Parts: sequence; structure tokens; C-alpha cells
Amino acid sequence: MRKELRRWAEILRERALAQGLSFPPVLFEEVGPEEMAMLAAYGGFPRRYPHWRFGSEYLRYRETYRYGLGRVYELVANTHPVHAYLLKGNTLLAQKLVMAHVYAHADFFQNNLAFKPIPKDMEAEMAHHAAFVERAMERYGARSVEEFLDLALSLENLIDPHALYIQRRAEENTEERPPDRLRVRPYLDPYVNPPPEPPREAEEGANPTPLPPRPTRDILGFLARHAPLAPWQKGILEIIREESLYYVPQAATKILNEGWATFWHTRLLLPLLSPEEALEFAELQAGLLAPHGFNPYRLGYLLLREVEERWDKGRFGPEYEALPLGERLAYERPTGLGLKQLFQVRTVHTDLSFLDTFLTPEFALRQRLLSPEDLPRFAEAKKALLFRLTNGGYPIVELVDANHGNRGELLLEHAYEGVELDLKKTQAVLENLHRLWGRPVHLKTVVGGKETLLSAGS
Amino acid sequence: MRPIERDLLRFKEIVRGEVKKKAREFLTREELFGQVEGRLVSIPLPQLELPKIVYGEPLGEDLGLGGPGTDSLGPAGHVPVAELELEEFLDLVGEALRLPRLRPKGEGEVTEEAFRYTTIARKGPRGLRHVRRTLKESLKRALITGEYRSEEPLLVPEREDLRYKAPRSKPRPHAQAVVLFALDVSGSMREEELRLVKTLSFWITLWIKRHFPRLERRYLLHDAEAWEVTEEEFFRAREGGGTRLSSALLLAEEILKRYPESFYNRYLYHFSDGENWQGDTPVALEALRRLLPTLALYGYAQVQGPYGQGRFLEDLREALGKEEGLAATEVKGKEDLPLALRRLLGG
Repeated sequence: MRKELRRWAEILRERALAQGLSFPPVLFEEVGPEEMAMLAAYGGFPRRYPHWRFGSEYLRYRETYRYGLGRVYELVANTHPVHAYLLKGNTLLAQKLVMAHVYAHADFFQNNLAFKPIPKDMEAEMAHHAAFVERAMERYGARSVEEFLDLALSLENLIDPHALYIQRRAEENTEERPPDRLRVRPYLDPYVNPPPEPPREAEEGANPTPLPPRPTRDILGFLARHAPLAPWQKGILEIIREESLYYVPQAATKILNEGWATFWHTRLLLPLLSPEEALEFAELQAGLLAPHGFNPYRLGYLLLREVEERWDKGRFGPEYEALPLGERLAYERPTGLGLKQLFQVRTVHTDLSFLDTFLTPEFALRQRLLSPEDLPRFAEAKKALLFRLTNGGYPIVELVDANHGNRGELLLEHAYEGVELDLKKTQAVLENLHRLWGRPVHLKTVVGGKETLLSAGS
Repeated sequence: MRPIERDLLRFKEIVRGEVKKKAREFLTREELFGQVEGRLVSIPLPQLELPKIVYGEPLGEDLGLGGPGTDSLGPAGHVPVAELELEEFLDLVGEALRLPRLRPKGEGEVTEEAFRYTTIARKGPRGLRHVRRTLKESLKRALITGEYRSEEPLLVPEREDLRYKAPRSKPRPHAQAVVLFALDVSGSMREEELRLVKTLSFWITLWIKRHFPRLERRYLLHDAEAWEVTEEEFFRAREGGGTRLSSALLLAEEILKRYPESFYNRYLYHFSDGENWQGDTPVALEALRRLLPTLALYGYAQVQGPYGQGRFLEDLREALGKEEGLAATEVKGKEDLPLALRRLLGG
């Protein structure tokens, strides 16, 4: 890395630490557009398992850059130390902005509670996964492994996003994971601790404890343990599950995390700008915060600024809440608690709870997200927005019974909330599930207002 | 190879496979017709998407509060599109439909002098003066003679400094071709038949062009008489009077005189419902006997009209069926297109 950049990285790091951010060491690396396209396609990591969809993504990023339609300025991986990539050829100011931005991301990864159970050595994990899949391809044929990956990837959202946060009581664990099992990486588990397969056509009453013991959203995990598959196939299911879980907190905090990083690069950099740089900074910032479409940077940044201002001016608490809308905008009771509140928000919230708590009609009016005539529909609009953020925008599906009708069939249930499923895609997924499970598969959902059972294989 | 390149290759391989699988479908996709003059072809490939359980509708349009758009969180609803180079696309479709490779016929291979201005000369026309080289010479001279002063770096080229771009001729073998489309517009050809003709002539043009990049195209219409038209007029539906197939062949013969067979691979395509005036068929066959040996191919496609089928196809096969360079076929509907196309290209 250039000397000048290294000097600035150090300056910005010290300023960030002095203002209360805390983060592990950050390694910056400058990369060219092709390598950046590769890293972006690989979700921020230099090595992933072989799959064509990475190639497709790579092509998309590469062409987007080539035709000047957009560029990836920066990529950060949540690892220890944090790996951050800067696009070679950007101006010094752009790189400074990105570095300040990255320090805030690193702080967010380290301190936001949603990231607590996320492994910090994911770079190594991803490489292990790649090696595992490559070996499987050598042994069982690239095509058959690829086909299985296609199948497994169509199930990648059938996970329990809270799986990493749940601490089961010991005796609950014993049923599915006897204590004599060896602890290994999950995708190696089927080799080291092969599980018993479930009864195919069970006798009446032969299986007194239902499987799964209670409805579960961890469908990938369940299949990895119980589907009649070869160990390498179970290993792949575990890999897909683990990587999916890894990206859950990132998706769930996109608005907050980008808002936080934007807030901090602005705060750290503004006082350091030379007059010549000020104009370029304003341009970069305007591009980043452009109001067209949905822009997580913009929404997150504006809302964090709102929180800072409200807490600085004491616009919170029962006295404030009791005021009518018109008077709230003028209320002032200076406390200077803004920054403290921001750190609190950064620690405890995800996008869902962040917007639920702080997205107020006052804010919507002030930022012109809403016209005064539309005010009565604010609650409805907010609800719609929160719904989209729930479960990453995916429908919530549970596995209810793996021995449905006592015939070893799978019964899934969609928690219907008023929005119907895409039937064509859902059917295709059910066919995939059927191929994995080997027995018929059913999904209970609502179609055309009526409860419906979608099936595959029966 | 870097792993990402391996993933990219595999992706392209899958796209190619899909194109081949869908080749027949592409034949009749008129939205392709527009883009094909360019270099890239965009192909929608929904089957390349990994299906997931997602919501069927975009989640509630809200009141400008802004929600995840199509490219961020939430189920995105875009159809993946792959882009292919036109040549590669054609080769894939050609392979899938088993279209024959076209070969330059006899002397159709032309060696032409391609001039390229790759050298520098001291003499030449003004228009070819090489400014940079001239100034460079001028600078050299000024430095040597000591006239150059860096505080006032003015260069005035003198006669001896002038340099010109000069051609170096390089003979390059180049096959060229001409394709002539003739369409029978007597009463019986309608929208639907015209669409089949359009599809066929579109793909014929592309395929010939794939083999002979230097391709000239001519179009003519006929009922009882024949006249030459532009490409646009060719595909405009219209109705005429009676039919004399010979009129088209005679006009074609006339037009093709400008494309001597020693320099051109000459293709003649003729679309008709086959209902010819009784006395005309011998005349038409006679004209064809003269023309056939000079053509790379004479393609005759008999399109089924609303009033049934004429009998020119039979007459043609009877009379000239054994001749080389005759490609005759009939097209009753869309489903006949792949085979008809192959036949018309000599396969």
C-alpha cells in the first residue's frame, strides 16, 4: 500500500479510537477492478467453493464497472483482523473516506449484538468449505456435486436465523446429540458421528417422540442430520447452512451498519478536509446519499442523525411523548446525550428494531419521506416497510413433522401473514426437497385466501 | 486458472447449453430480430435462477418511506439475462439445429488487395500528412542545428521534414456473397405466411453472413411481374394479381449479372405458395436450368396459403430434383421452421 495511504489509515484510526469507536486491527489492501469484482462475487472473501453463480455475479460486477455503470469502492469482511479492500485508482480523498467508513464497519461488527455469535475466522472456514467441495468434486464428479449444490442452494433461506443465538438446555441436547459424540466442524459431523436415519414407514406408535420434537425453522440443519444422503451431501448442506447463517446479521443490519459507517466517515473526515477536497467530498457524499430508490446509506444516516439530535435536545421521555405532534418539533431540553445514545443504538439494534423504535411521523415529515396529506397512512406504510425487513424479506417456513401421516413424509408450514408465496418457485423448491428427502413433501400455506397444501412427490 | 475464472467458464458453459436447448424457440422470437445486427445478443434465461421459497408479489408499495428495492434485501424479481457474442450465439443455434456450414463455391474466394496505411513515406498527398512524425523530424532538425530554444519552442517544418502515411498493400483472401430474396405477393400470401417468410429470410441472412462477412442483399417482389424493392418494403403485407414465378427468376438473373459468379457466392431464395399460372411453369423451369449452375444455392420455400397448396414444388422436384444446388422445402407452420431452414441452407 502506498505510504501516503498508510499514513492516513493511521491518522483516521487514531481519530476513530479517540472518539470512542473500538475495533480489531484493520488490514487495508488496494485491489484492481477485476479482483474487486471477484471479491464482491465471493461475498467479501478471496476463496469460495466452486459454483457457477459466483461466475455469473463476477461477470455482472465486471461488466458494470467496464461500462461505467457503477463501481464497488470498498469491501469489508467481518473477520479478525478485519480485511478491507480499496479500489485501486481512486483518488486519495475517496480512499480516506472509505477507510474512515471501514473503521466504523469494523466497530459495528465488533460491538453490535447481532454479530456476537458469528465466527471471526470465516476466511479460514470459507477456504475449508471450498476444499471440501473441491474434494467431493474430484471423487464424485464435478457435475453431480454441482447438481447437488444447485439443489442445496435453493434451500439456503430455509434456516433458523436465530439458530446461533439459541442456547438449548443440556438435556434437550442429549436427545438429538448424545454426549458421546465428538465435537468437529459441522460439515464433517456426518463422517465422524453418523446419525441414525429416521424410520421410513414407521409402525404405528413405533416412534413415540415426534421428529422434530417441536416445529423448527432450521430445515437445512434437520436435513443435514436426518435426510437419507451420502456423508458428502450432508456435509454440503451443513456448509450452505453455515454460510447462510454467517450472512444473516449482515443482511439484518444493512441500514444501521451503512448509516453508522456514513455517520462516522463524515464526522471523522469533515474537520480534516482542505478547501480543494471539500468539493470532491460533497460530490462523493451526494452520490452516496442520493434519494433515488431505496438507499440504506441514506435512510440509516438520516435516522442516526435524527436520533443524535433528539437526544442532544432532550426530545425523549414521557414528557416529550405526551406532547402533540406540532409541539414536539419545537421542544428543547438540552442534555447532550446524543452520541451516547448513538453508541447504545449501534450496540443493541437491528434494522427492524431500529426503524420500529425511531422511525417516527416527525422524522418522515421532516425528511419529506411523507407528505402531510399522507400522514394518516404513516402507520400502514411503516408496517409494510418493517414487514419487508422481517426475516430478510423471506417467508417464514417451519418444518412441522418429518413423519407426516406416519408415512415418513415431510410437512412444512408457511406462517401466512397476508402475502402469498410465488407458487411456481415454491413448487420447484418442493420438488428439490422431495429429491433430497426421497419421500413426498408437503407445504401448508394460503392460496387465494384458502388454506392449501402444496405437495411434491405424492 | 483463478477459481473465479473457473466459475465464470462454467457459467458460460451452462448458458451455451441452455441456448442450444432452446434453439428452436429462439427461431421465432421476434424480439431477437432487432438486436441481432449488433454484436451482442441478450438472452433471457429464467431457468438459470435457483428457485427459492419467496413471496409471490413485491412486498407492499409504501408511501415513499423507502423499502428494500429489487437489488437489496428481499426477494428480487429479475429474470437473469445472459449476453452472448452474436457469432457465438449463431454457432450454438446452428449446431443445435444442425445447420450446414457453407463453403465458398469454386472461384468465389476472392483475393483482394487490402490497403493499410502502416508505413511512412517522404512524399505523399497533403491529406495523408503525418503531423506527429513531421513535427518529430522538425524537432530533430532544430535540435541538431541548434535552432531550438526551449523558452520559445516554435517548430516550423521545412520541406525535408514532411512525412506522410503510406499504404502497404497486403493481399487477403476474402470470400464474398450475394443473397437475393424473391417473394410472391399474389393474392394468397397473408400476415401469417409473411411472418414465416420473414423469420426464414432473417435467419438465412444471418447464417450466410456468418460465413461470408461481406454479404450483399437484394430484394424483389412479384406477382405477374417482378420489381426490385428495399428490405423494408419486402416485408410489408400487400396483395397483388396473378402469379408468374418466371418473372422473379428472370429479374433475378438480370440483377445477378452485377455479381459475377467468379467473385461472388450467389444465393437466390424464392418464397411462394406455389400457385403458378399454368403456362408459366415451363418458362420458370427453363430459367432455372440456366441459373442453377451459376448459383451456390437456389432455395425454394413453398408456404401453405389459406387456399391450400400450389404444385410448383412438385413440378420443381420432378424437373430438377437431381440437380445440385437446389434446396426446396415446404413450410406449413412455425413447427416446420427448423427443418425448412436446414433444407434451405443445403442441409
